[in-house]
Amino acid sequence: MHLKYESQLREPLVYGNKTYAQVTEDIVRPIEAKPSRLWYIGFFIAVALLSFGAYSVYREVTYGIGQWNLNKTIGWGWDITNFVWWVGIGHAGTLISAVLLLFRQGWRTGVNRAAEAMTIFAVMCAGQFPIFHMGRVWMAFFVMPYPNSRGPLWVNFNSPLLWDVFAISTYFTVSLLFWYSGLLPDFATVRDRAFTKLRKKLYGIASFGWTGSTKHWQRHESLSLVLAGLSTPLVLSVHTIVSFDFATSVIPGWHTTIFPPYFVAGAIFSGFAMVQTLLLIVRKVFGLTDYITIGHIDLMNKVIVLTGSIVGIAYLTELFMGWYSQNKYEGYTFWYSRAYLFSPYGWSYWGMMACNVLSPQIFWSKKMRRNVFVTFFMSIIVNIGMWFERFVIIVTSLYRDYLPSSWSVYYSPSIWEIGFYLGTFGLFFTCFFLFAKYFPVIAVAEIKYVLKRSGESYKPEFDAIEAQPLESFVHDHAHAH
Amino acid sequence: MEQNKNWQSFGELNKSEAYNKEVNNEFNEELPMVEDHSGFLQAKAPRRDFLKYLGFSTAAAAAAASCEMPIKKAIPFANKPEDIVPGIADYYATTYVQDGDVVSVIAKVRDGRPIKLEGNTLSPITAGGTSARVQAAVLDLYDTARLRFPTIAGKEATFEAVDKAIAAELKGGAVIVTSSITSPSTKAVIAQFLAKNPGSKHVTYDAVSFSGMLLANEASYGKKVIPSYHFEKAKAIVSLSADFLGTWLSPVEFAKQYATGKKIDEQAKVPAMSKHIHFETVASLTGSNADEKYLCRPSEIGAIAVALLSAVKGGEIAGVDAKLKAGIEVAAKALTANKGAALVVAGSNDKDIQIVVNAINDVIGANGTTINFGATVNYRQGIDSEFAALVDDMNAGKVNTILFHGANPVYTWPAADKVKAGLAKVKTTISFSGKLDETAAVCKFVIPDHHFLESWGDAEPVTGHISFIQPTIAPLFKTRAFQDSLLKWSGDATEYTSYVKNYWSAKLGGENGWNKTLQDGVINPATPVVSGATINSSAVASALIAVNAAKASSKIELALYQKVGIGAGQGASNPWLQELPDPVTRATWDNYIIVSPAMAKTLLNIDLNNGGQADAYEVQPPKKVVKLSVDGKSIELPVLIIPGTHPQTVGIAIGYGRAESVGKAVVGTGKNAYPLACIKNGTVNFSCADVKLEVTGATYPVALTQTHFRYDTTQGNRTEVMKEMTFAEYVKNPKEILEDREAEAKPFGGLANYEKDATIYPVYDRPGIKWGMSVDLNACNGCGACVVACNAENNVAIVGKPEVLRGHEMHWLRIDKYFSGDMENPKVVFQPLMCQHCDNAPCENVCPVAATNHSSEGLNQMTYNRCIGTRYCANNCPFKVRRFNWADYTGADSFPDNQEGEVNDVVLNMNDDLTRMVLNPDVTVRSRGVIEKCSFCVQRLQAAKLDAKKDSRPMADSDIKVACQQSCPTNAITFGNANDKHSAITKVRVDNPNRSFYVLEQLHVLPNVTYLAKVRNAGEGEEHAEKAEAKKEA
Repeated sequence: MHLKYESQLREPLVYGNKTYAQVTEDIVRPIEAKPSRLWYIGFFIAVALLSFGAYSVYREVTYGIGQWNLNKTIGWGWDITNFVWWVGIGHAGTLISAVLLLFRQGWRTGVNRAAEAMTIFAVMCAGQFPIFHMGRVWMAFFVMPYPNSRGPLWVNFNSPLLWDVFAISTYFTVSLLFWYSGLLPDFATVRDRAFTKLRKKLYGIASFGWTGSTKHWQRHESLSLVLAGLSTPLVLSVHTIVSFDFATSVIPGWHTTIFPPYFVAGAIFSGFAMVQTLLLIVRKVFGLTDYITIGHIDLMNKVIVLTGSIVGIAYLTELFMGWYSQNKYEGYTFWYSRAYLFSPYGWSYWGMMACNVLSPQIFWSKKMRRNVFVTFFMSIIVNIGMWFERFVIIVTSLYRDYLPSSWSVYYSPSIWEIGFYLGTFGLFFTCFFLFAKYFPVIAVAEIKYVLKRSGESYKPEFDAIEAQPLESFVHDHAHAH
Repeated sequence: MEQNKNWQSFGELNKSEAYNKEVNNEFNEELPMVEDHSGFLQAKAPRRDFLKYLGFSTAAAAAAASCEMPIKKAIPFANKPEDIVPGIADYYATTYVQDGDVVSVIAKVRDGRPIKLEGNTLSPITAGGTSARVQAAVLDLYDTARLRFPTIAGKEATFEAVDKAIAAELKGGAVIVTSSITSPSTKAVIAQFLAKNPGSKHVTYDAVSFSGMLLANEASYGKKVIPSYHFEKAKAIVSLSADFLGTWLSPVEFAKQYATGKKIDEQAKVPAMSKHIHFETVASLTGSNADEKYLCRPSEIGAIAVALLSAVKGGEIAGVDAKLKAGIEVAAKALTANKGAALVVAGSNDKDIQIVVNAINDVIGANGTTINFGATVNYRQGIDSEFAALVDDMNAGKVNTILFHGANPVYTWPAADKVKAGLAKVKTTISFSGKLDETAAVCKFVIPDHHFLESWGDAEPVTGHISFIQPTIAPLFKTRAFQDSLLKWSGDATEYTSYVKNYWSAKLGGENGWNKTLQDGVINPATPVVSGATINSSAVASALIAVNAAKASSKIELALYQKVGIGAGQGASNPWLQELPDPVTRATWDNYIIVSPAMAKTLLNIDLNNGGQADAYEVQPPKKVVKLSVDGKSIELPVLIIPGTHPQTVGIAIGYGRAESVGKAVVGTGKNAYPLACIKNGTVNFSCADVKLEVTGATYPVALTQTHFRYDTTQGNRTEVMKEMTFAEYVKNPKEILEDREAEAKPFGGLANYEKDATIYPVYDRPGIKWGMSVDLNACNGCGACVVACNAENNVAIVGKPEVLRGHEMHWLRIDKYFSGDMENPKVVFQPLMCQHCDNAPCENVCPVAATNHSSEGLNQMTYNRCIGTRYCANNCPFKVRRFNWADYTGADSFPDNQEGEVNDVVLNMNDDLTRMVLNPDVTVRSRGVIEKCSFCVQRLQAAKLDAKKDSRPMADSDIKVACQQSCPTNAITFGNANDKHSAITKVRVDNPNRSFYVLEQLHVLPNVTYLAKVRNAGEGEEHAEKAEAKKEA
């Protein structure tokens, strides 16, 4: 008779029954090994894109914003669309690292490092757009409120663009600190394994002299909690403030109180999608399937279907209010410029609806949530959809606002506008490839916390014990005494 | 004691010859002014230096030139003239003349450079009004395409050489071909020349002539003259396709008169308004302003005239379709009801039609009331058949020498090839054109004339009204007055300058009288004469037979028309005029085929009533190209769909497709449509029956500044943008608009409390000055003079066609045009829109660096050097009046070499050192990357305040005129201090409470520009009111 009763409480967070040493070995090995051919190809493409982007920006700075196809009616187009898109992507990292830390969600440790890195790089990319969309970027320092010699000139604290300056820079700083503080013990690990003097020196500097003393660990823990506490409101505030750029204006389609929650949900939505895109590649390429598991993917897909549905409700609410308010300008923007498929930009609205609202609904199915290919495909779709969302908000609101006389001709981007966008991809992936090569892509120290969380890893041992005949125990017992 | 001799050089020690020379020469470095004059336009001197000494030298020249005699040498001020203060403008009365067009103007001269023209209010004809072309004329002075010296067969020559060569050619007589000459002294000079050179003759040739009318008047009244018209006296106006507000005869004058009848006095017990009924072939400026508009073919104009004559006599209306019949009935009713205060004008160049029109005017009592033969006008004197005869003579080899002044027949005559062939047979061909135009290009001698701002002269636009021309700058190039050449060739040693002076001094009581007159710029007759002329009715009978005999066409017809800016082609080389959106089509830089929505549906398969198709047509600048062929001639042009055009008629503007030698602005802009005109009954006929249209499959981008033309969209009327009503509705309830506004503001305690109670923010007191503007949409006819005036005053950049195509035009002031009602024959409204200077400006709070902010005087001001160019303000402006410098249009950028290849040649040309002389030094030239917009001409406001301050008096309303207001021929714009109880702006607002509205008032941005709603004296309204009354009674 088999007496075993098995209750599985949670899935293991790390597969493969790893030992601590194995974990270190698995994660740090790629840093020490020579990069693969694929890495070189990828890095080269990324740098090529970055160079093209840099040239596009050079043209724009030298010859003027006229290098882009914006016009008297559409003052913002791809530039601010891309800005909001990248900022949105930059949301998942902080959510994963800070909010999930506070909620003691152990699964975050597998993905937080890469997600945070993604956040930092995405915010860096996002920052390029508000800077280089300025007609006179060399005067950009005018937005800094510091005592200056330019007479009694001060920034305008009423302007949401100024709020952006503070919100984004705060978010970037806190995210960077959070990320870096988490990296300290891991850098120390890399340092300790280093086989050249240079490596030892560089990683030694980067690890700030981490020795792994209990005092260090204690302070590290406290700092993590403090930074998590600081970043949590930022997750909500950054995109709220970005949404104020639009919500505080008078333009129909922008002037909406629903924007802050809707933008935050959208940001988390797109952020998780981007995390999926990147991690699915990383786990494959670096062979980290044991650390970034199907369980992670499943959980993140749940977040995607939740936030996707929230933005869906927001879209419908906007449409409803467009009708219910009986404001003809709102009505025109929402029901004609956007929702009417045959209006000039109708395609972008329905593209957005299809990508953001309809397609994520397949994640109600567990089978789909746990399918790597479906997830990868969907993550791309969601990112496209979220790009459309920003494009719809910005362009379809602006191109036909109050005075029909100023309605715009069809706006499509110039090669340099696209080049700038591609350039930020270059920047992002250049950073990400360097990160993947030189930084531990999974938090080595943190993953060790959760290594033994699940009973699953003890199962083989128990099975082995159970397989033994009772006599052996008796025998052993007898011997012991 | 022997003096110790100190020496610095061996030269000094030995007292060498070279040393002595050096010592005796006080200025041993060359003075900058002695530099080679011919080289300095090509010199690589920095722009500032160039402007410095060019301005300096021309200042001196102009100072002397405008007071006394032109001086030929430029010398610096040794003793500064009393009335020249650097930085302070001088104003000189002069006259804009171009091919018979005459407008008395005041030229503003800053540091020796004329930079702006304003209307001369002392002239009762134009009374301070100007047109877009007058405003743009100052730019022509600095045109780089102007000829810089006389040439013989294309090679530079001296005047002496030219005179010598020509003197021998004048034996046997010469033919002088000129456009209409309004100058009495020039006519005297020509008479003298004709007398001195026997066998010579003078032929007047106008590109768009009034031959038909001149000949008709000869037949009807025995006088080959054009009478003056008085639209202000007419309560009923019927126009048979005469574009009298845009291009017909004297539009500035007529616009002013017309507006008098259109303005509504809200304080009057019985409101009155003239009624204008227009028969329209292709949508025109005048038709757009009409109270009622009926569409007809060009070939139907004759039939309409005949029917109208019959109708005003109380007879039958025959020979026209039902729609036109209704129109003629309305027209006849209005005309007969207002006998003695009615007027009919026709744009036709057909003598017989004009005779019929004369008969109508006689019946309705216009003759002697609204038509004045007591003061005839001289704007157009050319008779087409005379020129046609000359062309035949040339081809027959009968002409030995020919002189062209103003006339450019190689471009404008329908059979231009024949003119060219004829000229090849003429031994001596001489052109006085200031530019190498099409005719000058085939002439052997080209002796460029001065620009009018460099000239002396006179003009007599209306008999008895003299307007004087005095130079405002010394001639920039080696040019010579046309009259000087003629005087010389007549053996008269007098210079034309003295000739004019002597001519008038004698009449004006000597030197003092002359000086006084020159200062005023005009002489007006003491008492205006108004008289009619006796009509010869026998001419009418034969004309009726001739008109009735004309066959009506059932095929597609073509009407050639002139644009407000380009005219007959004179404006084509002027970038300000090319970039001025045509009032009717809102297109720039091109001509095109205008078709009706109905024809678009059949020909192009575009249905404007289908939202998707209409959008696709509107938002994509490339338009379908159609090949139009008529009589074996063809032209391929893009098509624009303009409602208000007859379904079977298409229109093309003349004046395009000019030779590239007349300026950078004409390169690649449009095609020449003159060859499509034909000569019919001896006069040039600008319409053709039976044209064929073929879609080519190609597309061509047309730079439109406005894509959408309806404000009554599918989502309901955007009545907060534009308010219009019919006169009948107004009479019934004058307060309708006010009541609507009141209802809108009701939740906030009505209009009185709207400002205060519709916001959660505190409301500030606005003491002191508060600038405000009012635009009367009833007076505004959309002509565009204000747009060009704003260009000139505020250094608004020209961006060129490629940039307009991308929506990058920089105009601070634009004239929005909206259609409403029936798609085929819609009502049209024009709305000049500039920065509204909102008290609660949405642009101000979004700027992160406070580059745009509010002045204590209510101005929304732009600080260019503070702007970092986020464009957030432009996005948040509900009126979309903010303009961004997308590229380095002005050369003011700190980045070198970023214009070449990026901005169009026209823009580069606007940055030429010569062209830049037109810039207003009081206004910053904006650099790349900053936002700009209407400033309410803040430089003028500051100047006015300072003047008042210097005089220790309160600023008066009359001290200030903003550029758009000053240029407006109809005084549609009022501007002033709204806090001043006695100011004109306050008066307009207090006197017109019923029609006043603010655009987008519901946004609570609190604009400072009031609009007075458009009231149209349309029939539907009357009928509607009658019906409503009938219902009430029932």
